[in-house]
Amino acid sequence: MPGPFRRRGQGPDRGEGESDSPSEDGADGDATDPGSARTDGGTVQRKRESSGGRLSGALDDRFGDDFVESLPFWLPAFLLMGLFVYGAIIWNFVISLTDYEGFRDVSYSSLDFEMYTRAFNDSGFLDAAQNTVVLLLAFTVLTLGVGLGLAILVDRNIRFENTFRTIYLLPMSLSFVVTAQFWLWLFNFEDGLLNQAVVLVGLDRVNWIGDPQVVLWAVILALMWQFSGYAMVVYLAGLRAIPQEHYEAAKVDGASTLKMYWRVIIPQLKGATISAAVVLMVFALKAFDFLFSLVSGYRPPNGADILATKMVREVYSGTPRWAYGSAIAMILFAMALSIIGPYLIYQYRRGNL
Amino acid sequence: MDANFEAIGGGGNTNLDAVVTNRLGDDDPPSSFANWPGKNLQKYSGALGNVDDVWEDNDFADVHVDEAVELHQTNGNFHAVPLGSHRLNNLFYNIEVVESAGVDPSGINSVASLVEALETIASETDAVPFTHLLSGPWATVQLFGTMMIGQHGVSAYNDFIDGNPDEDAVTTTFQSMKTVMENYISDDASTIDLTGSNQKIISGDAAFIHQGNWAAGAFRNADDFAYEEEWGATSFPGTEGIYELHFDSFLYPSDNPTESKTKDFLGFIGGTDAQIAFNQYKGSIPTRTDVDMSAFGPYLQDVQEDFANAEARPRNLYHGLGVDADVRTSMEDVISGRFSGPFNASRAANGFINAVSN
Repeated sequence: MPGPFRRRGQGPDRGEGESDSPSEDGADGDATDPGSARTDGGTVQRKRESSGGRLSGALDDRFGDDFVESLPFWLPAFLLMGLFVYGAIIWNFVISLTDYEGFRDVSYSSLDFEMYTRAFNDSGFLDAAQNTVVLLLAFTVLTLGVGLGLAILVDRNIRFENTFRTIYLLPMSLSFVVTAQFWLWLFNFEDGLLNQAVVLVGLDRVNWIGDPQVVLWAVILALMWQFSGYAMVVYLAGLRAIPQEHYEAAKVDGASTLKMYWRVIIPQLKGATISAAVVLMVFALKAFDFLFSLVSGYRPPNGADILATKMVREVYSGTPRWAYGSAIAMILFAMALSIIGPYLIYQYRRGNL
Repeated sequence: MDANFEAIGGGGNTNLDAVVTNRLGDDDPPSSFANWPGKNLQKYSGALGNVDDVWEDNDFADVHVDEAVELHQTNGNFHAVPLGSHRLNNLFYNIEVVESAGVDPSGINSVASLVEALETIASETDAVPFTHLLSGPWATVQLFGTMMIGQHGVSAYNDFIDGNPDEDAVTTTFQSMKTVMENYISDDASTIDLTGSNQKIISGDAAFIHQGNWAAGAFRNADDFAYEEEWGATSFPGTEGIYELHFDSFLYPSDNPTESKTKDFLGFIGGTDAQIAFNQYKGSIPTRTDVDMSAFGPYLQDVQEDFANAEARPRNLYHGLGVDADVRTSMEDVISGRFSGPFNASRAANGFINAVSN
């Protein structure tokens, strides 16, 4: 398959920066357009010159060129990250193995996985986990879909293209605190804009927040509104990187517009899809902020509880259950890792890391 | 005395609790912090110090009601000092709305007659008969406590919070609440908060509201909205002569960073000057019974009279005095899962009975 992503499996020594710029023929807008910027930069050709001899040479051989010389540049950050990020994760994991509760001193003498078995026997946890997964998948898929649709429309040389792009991207610049209040008004049963619209088309008012079957989808809708613009921008960059010839070749072959996008253009957006999906999923895991602002607390409406809110509630709303909260945090961390991990491996194999 | 008062962010209790929880957990306790006494003290067991000397040196036990003396100690030791009190069994109303429906709030003296009055409001006016917020479960837990007192009396309620619930009393209370929730609250209840709910009374869009009397603060701050002219207050139906008790108190952490200064501060908190200065603006009343109420407005003077003359002062359900923080959290789970629409009275009753029995 043609396209910029065909060089899978090649090492970092191969420069990836050169792209076939679509702007040569002038038909596809200006070259200074930020949408056409490539994100994967291009890898500088490495020189293999072993400096030989002594310890630094041995280290350089083992870990790569300039290992010793580059230490001052990366070691401080490495140590700080190691302590405050990875150290904290490990400590959190250890706490999750204890029975730490309340304000008495924590005891590390008997470590076990009791908190994890408790989680899987806690119906509140299972509901929250299910909601988290539904939120994650539905939000990501729908947002990508809407973003792709917007990107294709904006990419078709419309008037006021920049204006539209800004309008769609704008919600993302707002804080969750603001958007949650916005949506609370929009979701109001009596005079909210959404229900006004629903009544206008002749349907019954929907209890967006109060109905446990609906509320999670209402939250997904609000988050989609906020992040579709981001997906659009990523796709727009992807679309701009596709050579104009591919469109022309498809046309010459007699493909309809729909078929051209479906068979030729969209398959080339795989890279953009993956990058955007990962970022969106991480945003979905952070939906805590939105829910917290929506109800001014960490008890979301019935039917919209997610692991992040459940975790905080376990620690702060009754006797603090540090160990149980930590266990939920570790499960959430594993979920995030299961999303980020494959992405990192994918990028590494393609030589982008 | 210099003090380093650290403001917490907006969001009130939620934020304060999180900050205090972290600091106590990190062995970095603040000198003192605001919270509820009573069963709520159990949450902090192991982290609170002894202030028997503050109570003794200031003769607090002589000037406070018995309930205050009892609820600020665990196992015979004082851990906190009260600053003010709110009343919880209130029924506030918009006078114009109830009059236009021909309802006389002072004649409503039982939960059944309340339901009748709500029905009259519904048929005679366009206003919401009873505004209630469902955006969080706390207001519903709070209403349950008051309604149970109103419907079954103080002793049945005390049995309930002490862990010996009468199933029938709990179930019938929930059934009354279901009647109110399904028929007389606003349709947008699940998207409004306390401010929004109070606002419906102020704007004349609702007739009645049950709240702690912090709601009176919202009414007082509204323009052209005067006590006994635009809004009125009465005991929640069935709770005449009863003051459902709430305390705002300052707790004393052990390993206190400023032991003697903190104790001076707590002595001040429980004193006349601080209680007048603070409560008249917060909209609560002093917990001392020897305070000159002339600095307070007419509403709070009435409340103080009810407080001093109450035949019973049952401990509130949601705000810390009646049940501990874990029971409260379970009750919130029950309300959130079973009684926020659709309203399942028997499942909610089971949940509450389990919550207090464990």
